[in-house]
Amino acid sequence: MCETCGCGKPGEFKVHDPDKSNNHEHLHDHDFEHTHNHEHEHWHDHNHPHDHEHSLNHDLDTSQKRVIDLNIDVLAENNNLAKLNRRFFEGRKVLCLNLVSSPGSGKTTILEKTIIAMKDALRIFVIEGDQQTLLDARRIEKAGAPAIQINTGTGCHLDARMVESALGKMDIEANSILFIENVGNLVCPAMFDLGEHKRVVVISVTEGDDKPMKYPYMFQSSHLCIINKSDLLPWVDFDTEETIRYAHTLNPTLEFITLSAKTGEGMDLWFKWLKKQGEIIISPIKV
Amino acid sequence: MHELSLALEVIRIAGSEADKIMAKSIQEIDIEVGDLSGVEADAFKSALELLSKDSVLSEARINIIRSAGRGRCKSCDHEFEMNYLTATCPKCQAFPSEISGGREFRVLSLVIE
Repeated sequence: MCETCGCGKPGEFKVHDPDKSNNHEHLHDHDFEHTHNHEHEHWHDHNHPHDHEHSLNHDLDTSQKRVIDLNIDVLAENNNLAKLNRRFFEGRKVLCLNLVSSPGSGKTTILEKTIIAMKDALRIFVIEGDQQTLLDARRIEKAGAPAIQINTGTGCHLDARMVESALGKMDIEANSILFIENVGNLVCPAMFDLGEHKRVVVISVTEGDDKPMKYPYMFQSSHLCIINKSDLLPWVDFDTEETIRYAHTLNPTLEFITLSAKTGEGMDLWFKWLKKQGEIIISPIKV
Repeated sequence: MHELSLALEVIRIAGSEADKIMAKSIQEIDIEVGDLSGVEADAFKSALELLSKDSVLSEARINIIRSAGRGRCKSCDHEFEMNYLTATCPKCQAFPSEISGGREFRVLSLVIE
């Protein structure tokens, strides 16, 4: 582990292009193997250190102890990288959506069906986030969209730096959509802005209608909630209205679409929503 | 466990700030963790202690300063200590409330030598 900044194994991630990747390659597309002069841009421009002599310098303490006031938001660097990612997307007129959910909600299936339905009208790119394997990226490529897989290793979420690294590995065309499928986890990804335009939280009807209350941070920070696997509604105790009511107390502007990626029911509403978002960013979108 | 990557970020911030002023060592670090910040303070402290061992914070005392969550009831305007986002107003039992404090997650200061 680097002695200066503590970077090293924890937090390491790998970025794979599934076309060029076998399972054991290790692509270090990040700055962990950097030189250690630690010069970098400082985002927290309102928080320059103000060192001043405090009472620690008294009595027999002849050492040069000083208190340095910092007041630096720990997420500031991530938020600024996210801002740069967002600027990149806006420059290229790329609509970027961050898909979050617990594992198994059907994010990848929704993406597969979306790609198959829309790929002739629109270029779609995907960044896949999982702890391990290239399985999801391969599913996406099979459906017909270029994908880059980020393996977070021990990590439980994607951050803006990982997305920036993945962007360097893909040639995203202008006037396209980029889906970022986050690691399946309703807790950790809530804190990390990736630079997306909209955050889409997916839940499935097998998960229970009280999900928004149990994971309030995620539902508070999302723009759209997809309720997936609607074909199973007759067999499970899931009250869609109750879910919407819970979520709206936390986030009154959260939009909802109920669909089944498997049967296709409600997918037209999702495509319509995508088209609407695309018109804002890509304009005009021919879907 | 996003606390692990947040701990790494705190170490990076501390290292970078200490470098800027050519500090020999960091003796203490004060970090504010708001109760509604989404960071589990105990897990974060454990992660930071673990990861600090081989870092610029290896000699540093880690002080976690908790800031209480505060909410203002949207129905009756009562301000109260709010321990979780879905807390109901203790006065009128209404929900939701507007968060007025406790979102902070900041490196406040370093004591350097």
